[in-house]
Amino acid sequence: MKNLTKKFAGLTAVNDMSFEIHRGEFVGLIGPNGAGKTTIFNLISGIESPTSGTIRFDGRDITGMSTHKIVNLGLVRTFQLVRSFKFMTLLDNINVSCLSSRGKKIAKDYGIDEYSSTILASVGLIDKARLPPVILPHGDLRKLQIGKALGTNPQLLLLDEPFSGLSHEEAVNITDLIRSLHSDGVTVFVTGHVLRELMGLVPRVIAMHQGKFIADGPPKEVANNKIVLEAYLGRGGEFART
Amino acid sequence: MKINYEFHDFKIYFRDWIGTFRGKLTVLCLIGLILIPLTGNNYIIGIFNTFMIFTIFAASWDFLAGFVGQVSFGHAIFLGIAGYATAFTIRFLNFPWWTALILGAVIAVLFGLIIGVPALRLKGPYLALGTLAMSLILYQLFLMGSLAILWENTFPGTIMFGTDGIGQVPPISPNPGISYLIIFLIMCVSLIVLTHLGKSKLGTIFKSIRDDETGAKASGINTTKYKILAFMISGFFAGIAGGLYTIRLSGVNPGSFQALYSFYAIIMASVGGLATISGSALGAFIFVFLGEILRLLGDNPNISDMFGGFTEPIFIFSIILILIIRFAEHGLLKPVLEHLQDLWDLLLGR
Repeated sequence: MKNLTKKFAGLTAVNDMSFEIHRGEFVGLIGPNGAGKTTIFNLISGIESPTSGTIRFDGRDITGMSTHKIVNLGLVRTFQLVRSFKFMTLLDNINVSCLSSRGKKIAKDYGIDEYSSTILASVGLIDKARLPPVILPHGDLRKLQIGKALGTNPQLLLLDEPFSGLSHEEAVNITDLIRSLHSDGVTVFVTGHVLRELMGLVPRVIAMHQGKFIADGPPKEVANNKIVLEAYLGRGGEFART
Repeated sequence: MKINYEFHDFKIYFRDWIGTFRGKLTVLCLIGLILIPLTGNNYIIGIFNTFMIFTIFAASWDFLAGFVGQVSFGHAIFLGIAGYATAFTIRFLNFPWWTALILGAVIAVLFGLIIGVPALRLKGPYLALGTLAMSLILYQLFLMGSLAILWENTFPGTIMFGTDGIGQVPPISPNPGISYLIIFLIMCVSLIVLTHLGKSKLGTIFKSIRDDETGAKASGINTTKYKILAFMISGFFAGIAGGLYTIRLSGVNPGSFQALYSFYAIIMASVGGLATISGSALGAFIFVFLGEILRLLGDNPNISDMFGGFTEPIFIFSIILILIIRFAEHGLLKPVLEHLQDLWDLLLGR
């Protein structure tokens, strides 16, 4: 991703961001609320197109490509605000992903329903397969999101705030799930606005603030970076003195 | 274009379905419908013909709105286009009725494609308004006198445009009973296909577009492709209904494009319940028979003097629709079925 800029009327949400993620990596994207993390995900996943700059995935220019094409290349995202097909069963929710052209390549050998069931089992929702999402608690919906992404057989998985709104216990469940996905060979790129959540999870963190890149490195280094601290706490030193 | 569709689970589904109360009731209703021609009363047969044709029409709208979430206010387009194509080919090209019917439906599909592609860029209420506008444009186009003269000069001896439309279309068979049974069969096939499509994997994709279009895209679904496909499927069955309606009325005129017909489809499908397909049959039944009763009442000078214009079918139906939206927002099919089942159990003493 190079020199990416997204301007909304009068507001530059993402300003000249450039970074690279390698295959098999596990990277976090942090920044305070409104830093532009979700906008970056929207740009990468083709939901919005950038004002300028290019995005490359697997050697291919995907800038401005439509979302479903990007997904079928193996670059899949989840949403910060959970999205689900409300009036369909959980099994059918996953089935949709398994019916995408990329998901089907794998799923059809097992049978669509069977393959979706294994995914539901792997995210721990198999006993709720026949229920619609409207009656599920928030934590289950977060799992469903990841399940839906898995149905398309992702190569690079973008997780937008997978922990937001979760209890500690649910967050631990999701963390384990993401870890096991990564050890299965999926490249994971995850956002969070609370540094602590990601600290123990990822070996590399990219920090941004007000649409701009500020730091990149192991979580401990980034956490002690002066600009990062300022972004999160304001000019903390002066505050403390007065 | 590759489409996700599998047929093998149909038999299993049918076996389960026939075992349920709903399945048995449907079979009973169908047997009742088959027996109608035995009355030998052409008036009754005619009303039932209209009812079955409207069932197909309402079901086609329900498929598009209930399963794919694309609310069309211009379904009369398909009714009219297929009606004209069927009438024209039977009358001037001497096609047999069934080729004309299929041809009419195919032309409706193509038309659905032509207007569907730009229309699908519109979402929600804008799609509804866009399709409505298209049907109004076609209505005016087919009414146009200058176009009628132009057509008659270019293709002498044939009629296409103009206020009178195309008349003198012969019935399917000189025997009304046979015509009736053919329409009956077409209705059954249409409802089975539409219901099954809704339950298939293709239907799963359609429903995902209805529930969350962005989410469907993020699941790797080419939503545009499937929306156009849905428009074409819906257009096909609406076209079949249009062709049959033309044959039933032995003619077609620009009135077929009136927004009123689009609203009829919406009323019938909503009364029955969205995304049920078979609910359209219930909706069409209530609509056609209540409409007929109201018409008879309106023809009676004593009653029409007493109520003025209030026996106008569209007036009564609007009120019914408002009441249904208020008290049974998911349509009448489910509550009616439940109550019938309770009654049935009571009679059996369970």
